[in-house]
Amino acid sequence: MNTVILSLIWSIMGIGWNFIGGYAGQVSNGHALYYAIGAYTVAVGAEKFGASPWMTMWIGIAISIGIAFLLGKPLLRLNGAYFLIATMAVAECARIIFLNVSYVGAATGIMFLDKKHSGWYSLQFKDKEPFYYILLVIVALLVLAAKGLDKSKFGYYLRAVKANEMSAQSAGINTPRYKVRAYMLSAAIVSLAGSLYAPFVQYVDPYTLLPLDKSTMICLVAVMGGIGTVAGPILGAFVMTFISEYARAAFSGFSGLNMLVYGIVVIFIVLFMPGGLISIGQKAKERFDRTRKRKGGGEHGSDS
Amino acid sequence: MDPILEVRNATKIFGGLAANSDISFEVPRHSVVGIVGPNGAGKTTLFNSISGAHPLTSGKILFEGKDITRLKAYDICRLGMGRTFQIPRSLNEMTVLENVLVASIGRHKMGEAILRAEKVLADLGLEKWKDNPAGSLNVVQKKHLEIARAVATEPKLLLLDETMAGLTGIERVEAVKLIKRLNESGITILMIEHVMEVVMNVSDNVVVLDGGKLLAEGTPEEIGNHEEVIRAYLGGKKW
Repeated sequence: MNTVILSLIWSIMGIGWNFIGGYAGQVSNGHALYYAIGAYTVAVGAEKFGASPWMTMWIGIAISIGIAFLLGKPLLRLNGAYFLIATMAVAECARIIFLNVSYVGAATGIMFLDKKHSGWYSLQFKDKEPFYYILLVIVALLVLAAKGLDKSKFGYYLRAVKANEMSAQSAGINTPRYKVRAYMLSAAIVSLAGSLYAPFVQYVDPYTLLPLDKSTMICLVAVMGGIGTVAGPILGAFVMTFISEYARAAFSGFSGLNMLVYGIVVIFIVLFMPGGLISIGQKAKERFDRTRKRKGGGEHGSDS
Repeated sequence: MDPILEVRNATKIFGGLAANSDISFEVPRHSVVGIVGPNGAGKTTLFNSISGAHPLTSGKILFEGKDITRLKAYDICRLGMGRTFQIPRSLNEMTVLENVLVASIGRHKMGEAILRAEKVLADLGLEKWKDNPAGSLNVVQKKHLEIARAVATEPKLLLLDETMAGLTGIERVEAVKLIKRLNESGITILMIEHVMEVVMNVSDNVVVLDGGKLLAEGTPEEIGNHEEVIRAYLGGKKW
């Protein structure tokens, strides 16, 4: 159950990252920043004001969108690897800030186990089932939204930006504006994931929320599953989380061995499935279509 | 004469090299104007300046009387100027239809935009491939797709950058017909072209560039008889 819940949280992050990294093709390696903002807003709200995550998650989203708007414009002027490095640097700066500001717990972080309020208020449940269903509903809503955007003007514009920015501009697309919008949207969704993760573990600190590999993992989840698709990030999130959790359990005797196994799996996926895990399904479908066409072709004459 | 485009003293300097210097000409509405000149004459640079891919160093460009010198490519496109690239820049991972859709959707709602995109593809003979990825097209088809995408932005002025290069004789005849058809539908055309028979055949006016400067401007007949042009470009032979 624990693993499934983590997978769902990773799915949300994957869906979020996918907008800027997958659709718009601007590979960010700093989305842990927004994850942390979401988590910290909920933690600070709960600890200092007794606020419900249902409320504070919106504040977190608003802050994330604001920061993404301010950072997006200068960051998105950079291309490719430069954008990646710059976003990484921003996330690192954020980690150092969170490490040193005592209001947010500095290096010790914030514990906010809430026994006063009901689970539905604090999102802290004794059993995991209610939280699991809440996550399931949220992921479902996000999938619907992503599906809508996939075939919308916004979705097509982002893909055009990724395919060829100059071409996109000459087709009348204000590429800087759409890149910033995609960045803001993805920041908001990743922030939401953080806001849901915090009450699940009731503890936030910079070491777990903002290590360098967190941002990379967010990116990997989408890339492994299948970049620029609706289902890809979810598939990626589940596969990656399960591998990482089981590798950790199976190789607990040798520290580091789980990461080695994990790394090997990642390398294999990248080598043999550059389209991500989702490409297996697509290839199977293509093969199916082709055989069907061949059979149908005999009856109707050639159709190509 | 009602000029749709006015280029005034256009100068573009790349790190000390003047790719365009002091070029002025006008494009009358509903006309076809050809830009010719040897390699390196600054034709594509001029196109890029006009369409907003990079700003001019000095000089002015007016589109329908409006100063567009400092505008970005997407804003210029919105005003009604479409362009193609010399080397096709298809959005390879997207389907042929989607390539055109991203252009038409700037002007219409989704449903209408899809219909318009399909119509443009049919006009250009690409409808058969509309669900294929653009990356699977051959060069000629990609050139057509470039035109399709530019036309789908519903331009009043269309800038065509060497759409004929690499085409065979028959394909060229088709392409000339296409240009004439586009022009008859009310689109003003400014085209860069190396193939002289095409330029002389379809253009109302010809602008000759050489070494970044405007060498001559006039009707195809005037240009064909222009001594300097013949010397600089046509290689001494009278056209």
